[in-house]
Amino acid sequence: MTSQAATVGIQEKSGMDPKKLGVWTASVGIWFLPLLWIDPTTYAVLTVAGLAMGMLIFLTASGLTLIFGLMDVLNLAHGAFFVWGAYVGFSLLNALQKIGWVEGAGAAQSIGSVMLCLLAALVVGGIMGIVLEKMLVRLTYGSHLKQILITMGASLILVEVLKVVWSPNDEVVIVPQAFQGSWDVMDVIVTKFRVVAIVVGLAVLAGIQLVMMRTKLGIIVRAGVENKEVVETLGYNIRRVFTGVFCAGAALAAVGGTMWSIFKEQIHPAMGEENLIFALIVVIIGGMGSVTGSFLGAIMVGLAFNYVAYTLPPLALGANIMIMAVILLIRPTGLMGKD
Amino acid sequence: MENKAMQPTPVQMERRALRQVRFTRPALWVQLLLLACLIAGPLLLPSFRAMDVMTKVMIFAVVAASYDLILGYTGILSLAHVTFFGIGAYSLALVTFHSGHSAWYHIFVAMALAVGLSGVLAVALAFFSLRVKAIFFTMMSLAFAEFVFILGDQWHDLTMGEDGVSFNLPGVFNVNWSSGTIFGAPLNGRLLTYYFILVASVLLFIGLVRFVRSPVGRVLKSVRDNEQRSTALGYKTFHYKVLSNVFGSVVASLAGVLFAMWLGYVNPTSVLGVPVMLNVLLMVIIGGMGTLYGSIMGAAFIQVAEAWLPDLQKLAVLLLPTVEVAHRLAERWILYFGILFILVVIFFPKGLVGTARDIIARRKLRLAEPNH
Repeated sequence: MTSQAATVGIQEKSGMDPKKLGVWTASVGIWFLPLLWIDPTTYAVLTVAGLAMGMLIFLTASGLTLIFGLMDVLNLAHGAFFVWGAYVGFSLLNALQKIGWVEGAGAAQSIGSVMLCLLAALVVGGIMGIVLEKMLVRLTYGSHLKQILITMGASLILVEVLKVVWSPNDEVVIVPQAFQGSWDVMDVIVTKFRVVAIVVGLAVLAGIQLVMMRTKLGIIVRAGVENKEVVETLGYNIRRVFTGVFCAGAALAAVGGTMWSIFKEQIHPAMGEENLIFALIVVIIGGMGSVTGSFLGAIMVGLAFNYVAYTLPPLALGANIMIMAVILLIRPTGLMGKD
Repeated sequence: MENKAMQPTPVQMERRALRQVRFTRPALWVQLLLLACLIAGPLLLPSFRAMDVMTKVMIFAVVAASYDLILGYTGILSLAHVTFFGIGAYSLALVTFHSGHSAWYHIFVAMALAVGLSGVLAVALAFFSLRVKAIFFTMMSLAFAEFVFILGDQWHDLTMGEDGVSFNLPGVFNVNWSSGTIFGAPLNGRLLTYYFILVASVLLFIGLVRFVRSPVGRVLKSVRDNEQRSTALGYKTFHYKVLSNVFGSVVASLAGVLFAMWLGYVNPTSVLGVPVMLNVLLMVIIGGMGTLYGSIMGAAFIQVAEAWLPDLQKLAVLLLPTVEVAHRLAERWILYFGILFILVVIFFPKGLVGTARDIIARRKLRLAEPNH
């Protein structure tokens, strides 16, 4: 009896849920619509740009959605991690410039310097996440209002300290030699770093999926999203998992910030806040707590932003809010949200 | 058991008790004293800076109180409250600016426009996001606020973009209008605007207090404390939440009209920006959520701090002329707001008025005990 029930359960899982399949096809298919009024070459360029942007937003949004799903914390300090990551990467690139690893560097050195930046951002973001979780967020579990207020206060402090350490003005980021310029693939101009962004985004998605689906830690986290109390009664220290997820989310946001800074080639202290808005929209579209949902949402937001910015520039961010409103009307819990 | 039907309900009993002490409560004297100070203030203290701070305290007390209605009495955290305030400010600015020359009825047209626009938008926002979860509303409102900010920043033909709109007020409210002196103070457009704002904000504040004490306000508090239970008691909690949200937003937009009247200039950062939202949030938290009167204290605290904190920088230069980090730290006064934010939330969650009420209640209890 038991083994039979288990087999049925497995079979149910392996088959694709028709509802989810519908969500996927609808959300992918709709992006061929702009072909009606944008010519194919421009469309291809915009699509690459949109995918790259989507991947970068996904880096921030994935942490946000996991923290929300597991810990029920709306972390408004996520934008601060993002902008810290960007500034750490910026400083490191400036330092590496002195030993000739950035401008006029070979391919290996360019890749090395970007890797170093990402690593530094990962470490800084992770440490900030752990400190923030242990010092402040821990005090406020259970009260949404307090969490929002405290993370907002922390975000203010972090961004202001950043302005003291660096400067409140815009800065130009130098891009490593190998990632400057673009390739020409059949008249479609593909900026090199956009491809890097897409690759990194896919790698992170694969990494998260691997950890979540194939490791014990992933099982604990997923179970925690479903039901915290049961995980605790099974003898796992859910607090430690909380800290870990918070740390990972912060680190991902910081990596996203570094990538974004090289992508945009400039940084300013308010960029965290701007990106947080994108990430929030993505998390709402995707359904809170769902990593795949936020991936879909991020791609949607990135693509829509680029298509609309090309057609009607001032409406770019408005388009995302429109998408969000439409999706919420159809599915109030988001694309992949729990009903 | 016929007697039981005649007995007043607990609500009626509480009302009766309140009515008895209506004119003897110490709080009444505090309120009257505050009002007297605000009326006499500009006559006794004819400095512009003091008048400016007082006006902003009045306006932001109304904004914070209307926010308290949503946050403290209904338990919904909106991050778009200042957006409605900005909509009010922009409606006055744009009506007077785009009509060429200003006329007295523009103020009322702007008020009607502010009420209409913010009412409709608040209903739309609430319908989209209050259906699911309270926290959804927070996220949606943040996105909405950012959207309106971008609109104000980018829609150049209508809002003049980030340069902002400066305009002249009509008739007696105009800065250039003046006519002799009154009680030794010059009687001019500024002074009249001040009194107009005083009257309007007192009326708005009284309106909020009445709203909170009304039967609807009672239901709102029950929704905040236990939503499931109020649903079970037969109240359509969603309707009440929308109502409180709309009422608060409309009051905020009227306060925005007053703010635009006072400054004669609006731009996106001063009336729509996230820092303004944080200030209002901080005012409510410092004063105490769910107290209404706390918002007056919170507004006074923040406005006074904002008026004089920039002087900190001069102090830092004076005391530590060589330490550059100190100058930079002193320059970033939002940093201190952030620290204050966290400290208040952790150590002082009830705010000034909430804590004071707790202390008074405890003392009353202690005084009452020996009699029993």
